[in-house]
Amino acid sequence: MDWNKNKNRFIISLIVILLFSLNSNSQEFDAEKYRMLYNFKTVKQADNTRLLEVSFNARNNEDTKDIIPVFGAEIKFYSSLEEKEMLLGSSKTTKEGIAKLILPGNQKYLTNKDGNITLNARFEGSDKLSEESEEIIFKNVHLELDLKEIEGIKTAIATVYTINNLGEKIPVETDISLYVNSMFAKMKIGEGSITDGEFEYHFEFPTDLPGDINDNLTAYLMIEDHEEFGNVIQKKTAKWGVFHQHKKEKKLTLWSQYAPIWMYVVLTILLVGVWANYVYTIINLFKIKNEPDAFETKNIIRNT
Amino acid sequence: MENNKTEKETDRRKFLKLGLLSSVSVVAGTSLVSNLASVDEKLQSEKIRLLTPEGKIVEVDATNINKYPEAHITPTESRKGIPNRKFVMVIDLAKCNNARSCVESCQKAHQLDYHDEFMKILLIQNNEEDAPYWFPKPCFHCDEPPCVTVCPTGATFKRDDNIVLVDNNRCIGCKFCITSCPYSARIFNWGHKAKFDNKDIPYSPETGIPGTEGTVMKCDFCPDLLRQGELPHCAKACPMGVIYFGDKNEDIVTNGIETLRFSKLIKDRVGYRHLEHLGTKPNVYYLPAVNRDFPLERGLDKDEEILERYKNVPFIEEFIKSSKI
Amino acid sequence: MDLANRKKELVEEFSPMIVKTSLWGKLWIGGLIAIILVGLYAFFVQIQKGHEITGMRDNVVWGIYIINFIFFVGISYSGAFISGILHFYETSWKNSISRIIEIMTVLSLVIGPIFILLCIGRLDRLHYLFLYPRIQSPITWDIIAIMTDLIGCFIYLLLTFIPDFAILRDSKELEIPSWRRKMYKFLAIGYKDTPTQSKRLHKIKNIMSAMIIALAIVAYTVLAWIFSLTLQPGWNSTIFATYFIIAGLYSGVSVIIISMYVIRRVYKLENYLKKIHFIGAGIVLLVISLLYGYFTFSEYFAKWFSHKTSDTNLLNTLFGRYFWEFILANYIGIIIPIIILFFKKLRTIKSITFAAIVAVLGMWLNRYIIVVPTLETPFLPIQDTRTEYLFYSATWVEFALSFAGIAAFFLFFTLLIKLVPIIPMSGIIEHERKVIKKTKNYTDGLE
Repeated sequence: MDWNKNKNRFIISLIVILLFSLNSNSQEFDAEKYRMLYNFKTVKQADNTRLLEVSFNARNNEDTKDIIPVFGAEIKFYSSLEEKEMLLGSSKTTKEGIAKLILPGNQKYLTNKDGNITLNARFEGSDKLSEESEEIIFKNVHLELDLKEIEGIKTAIATVYTINNLGEKIPVETDISLYVNSMFAKMKIGEGSITDGEFEYHFEFPTDLPGDINDNLTAYLMIEDHEEFGNVIQKKTAKWGVFHQHKKEKKLTLWSQYAPIWMYVVLTILLVGVWANYVYTIINLFKIKNEPDAFETKNIIRNT
Repeated sequence: MENNKTEKETDRRKFLKLGLLSSVSVVAGTSLVSNLASVDEKLQSEKIRLLTPEGKIVEVDATNINKYPEAHITPTESRKGIPNRKFVMVIDLAKCNNARSCVESCQKAHQLDYHDEFMKILLIQNNEEDAPYWFPKPCFHCDEPPCVTVCPTGATFKRDDNIVLVDNNRCIGCKFCITSCPYSARIFNWGHKAKFDNKDIPYSPETGIPGTEGTVMKCDFCPDLLRQGELPHCAKACPMGVIYFGDKNEDIVTNGIETLRFSKLIKDRVGYRHLEHLGTKPNVYYLPAVNRDFPLERGLDKDEEILERYKNVPFIEEFIKSSKI
Repeated sequence: MDLANRKKELVEEFSPMIVKTSLWGKLWIGGLIAIILVGLYAFFVQIQKGHEITGMRDNVVWGIYIINFIFFVGISYSGAFISGILHFYETSWKNSISRIIEIMTVLSLVIGPIFILLCIGRLDRLHYLFLYPRIQSPITWDIIAIMTDLIGCFIYLLLTFIPDFAILRDSKELEIPSWRRKMYKFLAIGYKDTPTQSKRLHKIKNIMSAMIIALAIVAYTVLAWIFSLTLQPGWNSTIFATYFIIAGLYSGVSVIIISMYVIRRVYKLENYLKKIHFIGAGIVLLVISLLYGYFTFSEYFAKWFSHKTSDTNLLNTLFGRYFWEFILANYIGIIIPIIILFFKKLRTIKSITFAAIVAVLGMWLNRYIIVVPTLETPFLPIQDTRTEYLFYSATWVEFALSFAGIAAFFLFFTLLIKLVPIIPMSGIIEHERKVIKKTKNYTDGLE
């Protein structure tokens, strides 16, 4: 794993060197004219891992459409508590100006007595670029999703809680949304809020969604931009789809690779008919060619 | 880089020799000569700028930036299509204000020249009383594609995922498909361009890059992006979210901002297909320009060259007249 | 009748045509070659620079190349049709014009398809048509039809040439180089005019005549379908194939009349190409021009009357930007020939030829009117600022190649007349034989 990371780093830096050596026409960056856009966000993903993401760009003050991604900047991620800081890892920005770090589910963070975790993403700055840093404070919340048929109704059951120092589940108050996955994006199919003291929320699941070819539907339960919990995602798949793809018969049409049979038949009949006549004509031409003997023999007979 | 140059040099000599040798086969000989002529021209590829932590702005070839699918899709593979998908596009005319982001990003991605547009934005006014509206027009990827029907070599083909593609290695340039498309969706490479010689990326009908002289091109729904689960360039680029795209099998379309049920969207907004009576069964649906988000005039804030295109539309004629008075 | 003597007489009569080339003749050939060379240069320019050098662009993707293609193939088709019919038609005067028609048929069928090749963006990939054929495409049908038609017409032409080749081969006194004699010997394929040979030849000629009539109709129908099977407003018409066939006959008969006139003047063949030929052809042209006018009227009348938007747009283009072309092609080009040919008093050799010239020019323009304005008026408006993308105008390359095509037609015609007499000698002999046989039967009957 570590070696892999190092290898990737090595390759990236190699690319960087290459890029730079190829482009001798690089130009000096005028920090006056640009404003740095530095944005840090974190999402707790369905497999309990946590994604940390920084996007780092420079925006032209005069032309706001002129946004230059910062490439190859090292971003260090910390978990911090008061004066203490723990390095979680670091990552370099890509050509899109994005640095990502994925932390495993069992990652330890510095947590204060209320259960709050503070994460910090920092760019340490260089001669030309100033230091950038952003902080996110959140509480680790647990989100569970179950897809069940209750009394014939397809139901998505959301469970949300936090765990206190004693290991007890504590209900929380939050808005949640239910999405269903598709090829390009997630579609929202329900919203709800969990009120004080409750653990569960029931969504009625739509019954007419096609899903994929195996009738599988993946539902996503999300807490979005919550001031206390941030972004949290949970997902679950069920065979609840009604895939109605048209029967897959390879029809012979005007636009398919092969034509309808009758076209071949007609074409063959026409061509065979014509070419048979050509061949017949040519055979006769050869017969004409090989005939002089007959004429001569006739003459000979007549003469004698 | 240096190596490349010398390689090209020797290649060129080889070409010359070949060209002389094959002067008997006139056609081959001259097309080689025409290839030669353009080797010298600088490859004008798209550049993007990056800022380094050291405070330098560097320009990098956009081709290095374009994220092509890891696996190269060969012309043969590109005939199959993405399994179990039926792609469909919905264009919401009420939101379009002729921002032209779709056109520009499409041109950039497909390495098209300024005037070559896979996506065209027309200004349509059905009659003099009718309100004109901006009409983004990609290829409709019809279910009964007349262009595919008339192709004598199968260079253009319809895949199982609804996409109609052109294989520029197969196309003989008879242009029959162009005349048979009632939507004028196809364009032709009339001459040779230096960028066609760029062999950095292997050709795939799914990207259409590099182009080929004497062949036909058109909007391809960007299958290279679809394979990565991304929306086509036009849909991604539109700042108004005009262009929805999705898999009809899933019955879900998205414009990157909102994601909706395709069937419900078409029913609620009375979606229609352009020139339905021609029986081509397009896979591009339009939502009528009712309750518009922007006044039409918003789209007139454009270069002279762009505005000039619409001068025959009755509304624009009126507009010019009144603004002069 | 002494057959050998009669043959000798005929060879003597026609030998100046075959053996000598006058100074004017040489100049004529030189001039044609010069025009063809200019065309070849234009072709090289087009290969080198691509189709950019032509006036064709994304909207009008087909220009005068395809117009020439339709035009030449139309002439060929009508030639095949007429000569096929003449073969079954027992008349004394057909012999004088049959060869003109046959040569015209084959030559225009050789030259026409060259123009479609000029239209193709990648000539180096032409073999893909056979590597990856799709038989749903009308282009595939067209290629098959034209190739089959071409081979059929060549065979037919050879059949009609064989007896004359045999006569020329046997004419020892003809002053021709030995390579030509060898060629005659080879091409005559040992034909000795024995009864069995002549019977056999007649039989296969019958078959091939029927074949080329059918093929001509199929080939030209398929060509019309290239247009009428698309959705384009000006093209998608059920009468298009028939309309094309009539129009092809119109230009074909006109070209026959013009050729008759020129050949009669140049080779002083007043004895063979008589006024009756011109009157006959003129009346055929009259009938066809009435039909052609009727089809043209129906085609546009239906569009005007039902006035679908797309049709109305097309008519606006036709009566707007193309007003004079439309008038010249579809009014002048039809009405003038009808007027000249309708009145008996106006039917002189010169006036009939004039009518034919008007018809041919009108026909070519009519093709232009069918192809270009339709492409300039698609379903969706063309919103572009580049004038060359809005309106088509042919460039010098296209004109040079078009004139080269016409020059090649004349050149090959001239050269073929040098190869065999334009009036089939064998036909004259056969006719005389029949007359003798008839009178003999008659006198036998009297005794």
